[in-house]
Amino acid sequence: MSGSILINRLIESLRCLPGVGPKSAQRMAYHLLEHNRNGASQLAADLLEAIEKIGHCQSCRTLSELEKCEICANLRRDHSMLCIVESPADVQVIEQIADYRGMYFVLMGHLSPLDGIGPMELGLDVLAKRLDSGEVKELILATNPTVEGEATAHYIAEMAANRKIKATRIAHGVPIGGELEYVNSTTLSHAFNGRVEI
Amino acid sequence: MMNAVCKAWATRMNSSRVSLHPAFVLHSRPYRDTSLLLDIFTEQHGRIAAIARGAKQPRSKFNGILQPFTGLLVSWSGTGDLVTLTAAEQAQRTGKLQGNAMLAAFYLNELLIQLMQRHDPHPELYKNYRISLSELSEGKNNELTLRRFECYLLQEIGYGLILDHDVESGEPVQPDRYYCYHPEHGPVITDGDAQESRPLVVQGKTLLALQSGAIEARDVFLEAKHFMRAIIHHQLGGRPIKTRELKLNKVL
Repeated sequence: MSGSILINRLIESLRCLPGVGPKSAQRMAYHLLEHNRNGASQLAADLLEAIEKIGHCQSCRTLSELEKCEICANLRRDHSMLCIVESPADVQVIEQIADYRGMYFVLMGHLSPLDGIGPMELGLDVLAKRLDSGEVKELILATNPTVEGEATAHYIAEMAANRKIKATRIAHGVPIGGELEYVNSTTLSHAFNGRVEI
Repeated sequence: MMNAVCKAWATRMNSSRVSLHPAFVLHSRPYRDTSLLLDIFTEQHGRIAAIARGAKQPRSKFNGILQPFTGLLVSWSGTGDLVTLTAAEQAQRTGKLQGNAMLAAFYLNELLIQLMQRHDPHPELYKNYRISLSELSEGKNNELTLRRFECYLLQEIGYGLILDHDVESGEPVQPDRYYCYHPEHGPVITDGDAQESRPLVVQGKTLLALQSGAIEARDVFLEAKHFMRAIIHHQLGGRPIKTRELKLNKVL
């Protein structure tokens, strides 16, 4: 460790990033100070601005600096389809890959009774209001295929059923390019139950 | 120098390795960037805390396996309060839990975590838990499974309920009389009429039904549920059951 108090503090601060230990933090700090001071000040300014301005979209709860995020504000998208995901990163992934032009609702987590995360923490009251408005015709449940994700999907499916809204769950199955022998048995049994005619 | 060698040797002798042991994950939470801290219920070692390093990495050997309600075979090493998981594989095909059955299963896990001490082996309870999960996945009467499991759990952890005799007089419980149940002692006959507002005043037949596990009958079913809820509440020292809150919240 160097003797400089400021450098040490910078190294400590960089460690709040995921996957950054003391060694990488040190490398980052020295790199920024030695080779890229402009980049560093840009990073600092962007971080400050992002922290100050980015909040949650009022209608889908994803991270956004606007009251209504771009997707929610886009009138050319299909407002009758609503895809439920666990995190803003999931929205990004679906946007990049899938051919989906509907709307999203971001839970920012999943139901986890033992950790005290219930329907309110996931903003399901906001979702309930949105479903009550009658705009949504189909819910696509794209929560993670974990036990908690399934429980969340089931809970939301019941909310939809109470309002006579169609709810679908994304398919689980064998990954493309994978080999059956190495697929875990739960996935394989899902794949068998959800087989489709060709 | 010699001391250090001795110490290392002693540590190695103490460190235990357990290989492919039947277990269920009760609860997991993220730890650091890619690891999981697990609460697991093992057949012969009771409830233990384990860390699965790198379990959340894309190519982890634990990928998708460390889920609750799935019978596993796990290997671990280490002593003390936190052991390190070294391998895990699925033991047998487990039925799929759906909807309310899954909530019921979460409830079982919460009871085990709240009431069972760590490192206390309960092989019979383990067996009972496994059977209860498979009953839940078969879509049988969930409540029935839960009541039986609650009774069994209390008995296993040393708080078994006295259900067949009056603790003061020693007389057998009469089906058509009312009993005031003291959680620490047991049932005492009471002369008053049915006091519905107090869950710990119960009919003799409800106690006898819980004793025999045959609580399907409509007239004892609901009373048994309220009675067990009050007993569990007492055992938890008033701490709320979070899974139940989730169920009560089902108004959205």
